[in-house]
Amino acid sequence: MIQAVDTILALALLSVLISFGSSRLPSLIKALAFQGVVVSIVPLVIGHDLTLGSIVFTLVTLVIRGIVIPLFIYLAVKKVAIHREVEPIVGYHASLLAGLALIVAATFVSPKFNLPQAGDNALLLPTAITLLAAGMFLLMARRNAIAMVLGYIMMENGIYLVGTGFSVRAHHIVEFGILLDVLAGVMIMAIILQNINQAFDDVNTALLRTLKE
Amino acid sequence: MVEIVFLIPLLTGVMAFFLPQIFSRSLLVLTGVIHLILSLYLWIRRPQALFEIYFSVTPEGLLSLLVISLLFFLISIYTSAYLDKTEIRSERVFTGSMLLFLSTMTMVTLSDHIMVMWIAIEATTLASAPLIYTHRSAATLEATWKYVLICSVGIALALLGSVLITLSMDIGGVDVPVSFSALTGEAGRLDPLWLKTGFVFILVGYGTKMGLAPMHTWLPDAHSEAPSPASALLSGVLLNCAYLGIFKTNKIMHAAGLGHFSGTILIALGLVSILVAATFILKQTEYKRLLAYSSIENMGIIAVGTGIGGLGAYGAMLCLIHHSLIKSSLFLSSGNILLGYGSRLITETGELAGRMPKTFVAFFGGFAGISGFPPFGIFIGELFIIIAAFRNGHYIAVGIFILSLCVVFAGFAKHVMQISFSGVHATIRMDEKPGMVWPQYVLLLTSLVLCIWIPDSLYQTIIQAVNSIGGRF
Repeated sequence: MIQAVDTILALALLSVLISFGSSRLPSLIKALAFQGVVVSIVPLVIGHDLTLGSIVFTLVTLVIRGIVIPLFIYLAVKKVAIHREVEPIVGYHASLLAGLALIVAATFVSPKFNLPQAGDNALLLPTAITLLAAGMFLLMARRNAIAMVLGYIMMENGIYLVGTGFSVRAHHIVEFGILLDVLAGVMIMAIILQNINQAFDDVNTALLRTLKE
Repeated sequence: MVEIVFLIPLLTGVMAFFLPQIFSRSLLVLTGVIHLILSLYLWIRRPQALFEIYFSVTPEGLLSLLVISLLFFLISIYTSAYLDKTEIRSERVFTGSMLLFLSTMTMVTLSDHIMVMWIAIEATTLASAPLIYTHRSAATLEATWKYVLICSVGIALALLGSVLITLSMDIGGVDVPVSFSALTGEAGRLDPLWLKTGFVFILVGYGTKMGLAPMHTWLPDAHSEAPSPASALLSGVLLNCAYLGIFKTNKIMHAAGLGHFSGTILIALGLVSILVAATFILKQTEYKRLLAYSSIENMGIIAVGTGIGGLGAYGAMLCLIHHSLIKSSLFLSSGNILLGYGSRLITETGELAGRMPKTFVAFFGGFAGISGFPPFGIFIGELFIIIAAFRNGHYIAVGIFILSLCVVFAGFAKHVMQISFSGVHATIRMDEKPGMVWPQYVLLLTSLVLCIWIPDSLYQTIIQAVNSIGGRF
C-alpha cells in the first residue's frame, strides 16, 4: 500500500516537470489534467477509513479536478488562443532546472517539519510543497493568462494534498463547498479570458498595463 | 433559523437573473428591506443556528451584519436612481450579482466553521467579479482580471492556513469541531508552531482581500473601475468581511497565549498599508482611486488597532463601523461627480460647491469624517488607538502612525479643495435627484449620531467582541 502512494505521488511530481517544460498550452493543460487525476486518487490509496461517502466524494473530486476543469480551460483555449505559446519570462530549460531544484529542496526540508503522520508516506509532504511552489512559479514565470490560471490550479492541487494527507477532519460537504468555489473561480477566469482575447486579440498579460500608478 | 438571512438574498439573486428587467430594481430594494428587518431581528433575539457546527451568531459577526444590511438597503435605493442615469448593458446581471454578493457577505458574517468562512469569502470574490466588469471596457477587464486572480491566489493561501490550523489540532490531539468558537475554547492545547504558521498564511490570504499592503495592488483598480454603487459595497463592507476572518483567527491566537506574535505582525502590516496609502494619495490624479487608497489607509489603521489590542481593538471596531458608513457615502457621492462631470480625473472637476451643492455637502462631510475630524467617529477610534499604543509602549509605531495620518490628511485635503472650489470649464450633465443624495446624508448622519450617542446594546456588543483581545481598557 505504501509503495502505491509513493508511486502515485511520483507521477504528480513528474507532471510538474512536464508542465514546466511544455511550451504549448494544450500540452500544459494535459499535464494539469493528469495531475488533477493523480492528486484526486491519493486519498483512496492512503485509505484512512474508506466509507461509501468518501469513495463517492473522491470520485466527484476526480471528475471535477481531472476532467471538468481542464476541459473547460481547453475549450476556452480552443475558442480564443491565436498564440498557443505560453510566452515564458523564464525559459523552458531554466524552468526545468528550477523544477528539479524545487523537488530536491522540498524533499530536503520536509523531514524538518517533524509531522507525526508523514512517516508512512515519504513523498506526501515533498509533493505538496512542490505543487504549491510550482504553481506560484507558473504564475510568475509565464506571461500568458491561461498559463497563470493553470498555475493557480496547481497551487490548489497542492493545498488539496496537504488537506487530504494530513487531516481527515473536514466534512465532505465542506470539502465539496471548497471544490465548488475553485470550479466556479476557474469558470469565471475562463470567461474573463475570452473577453480579454476579444478586447486585445491576445491573452498576453503584458497588454494589461493601463491601470497603474 | 439564522441561515435564512443569507438564503433570501441568494434566492432573490438567482431570481433576478431570470426575471424580466423591469422587476430587478424593486427586487433589489425589497431584498434590502427584508434583509435589514431580519438582521435587526438577529440583533435583538440572537437565535441559535440550525447547523450549529457551521454557523453561529457572534458579536463581531452581528456588528458586521448590521453594517452590511444598513449599507445595502441605502445603496439599493441609490442604485435604483443611479440606473436611470447610466447605460448598463445588462441590468439583470448587475442586480443579480449585487444580491448574490449580499448573500455571500452575509454568510461570511454568520459562519463559524473555518472552512465555511473560507468558502464564503472566496464566494464574495466570485459574486463581485461581474460587478466590476459592468462597463465592459478594456480597463474594467484588466481590473476584473487582477481582482479575480490576485484575490483567488491570496485566498488560496488562506485555505492553506486553515488546513494548517486543523493540522495543529491533529498534533495537539484536540478533538472538537473546526469552528472558531470551539477552537478559541481549546486554544491552549493546539500545537503553537502550526497555529502560528496557519495564522501567518491566513493573515496574508485574507489580508490580500482586505487590502493590506503590499498585497493591495488589485484594490485601487477594482474600486475605481466598478460602478459607484458597487465600489461603495466593495469598500464599505467587503473589506470588513475579510477583516472578520483575520479578527476571528486573531482571537484564537490570543486565547492560545500567542497574542504578542499575532499583534506584532498585524501592527507591522497595518503601518506598511498606511505608509503606502499616504505615498500614493499625495500624487493621485483620479478621485475614485483617491478614495480607494483612503480605504487601504483605514484598513491599515484597523489592523494596527487590532494588533495593539484592548482599547486599541475597541478603537479599531469604531473605525471599522464608521469607515463603512462614511466611505460608502463618499463612493456614492463620487458616482454623482462622475455622472456630473463625465471624467474621473481630479483636474477636470471643480466648483463642486456651486455646481452640485447637494453632492458637495455629502462629499465634503464625508471627507471631514474620513480624515478624522472631531464630530465623526473615526476621530474617536483613532484617538483610542493612539492612546492604547502609548500605554503599551509602541512609541515608534505610534510615531509613524500619526505622521502618516497627517500626510494622508494633507494630500486628501489638497485634492478635495481642488474638486470643491477650483475653477473649471465644464457643464454638469445631471440633476441631483433626492434618491441620489439622501442615502449619503443618512449614512453620514448615522455616523454622526453614533459618535455622540452609542446605544447600550451596540456598546455591549463591541465590548463582547473585543474583550478577549488582550490589553487594558
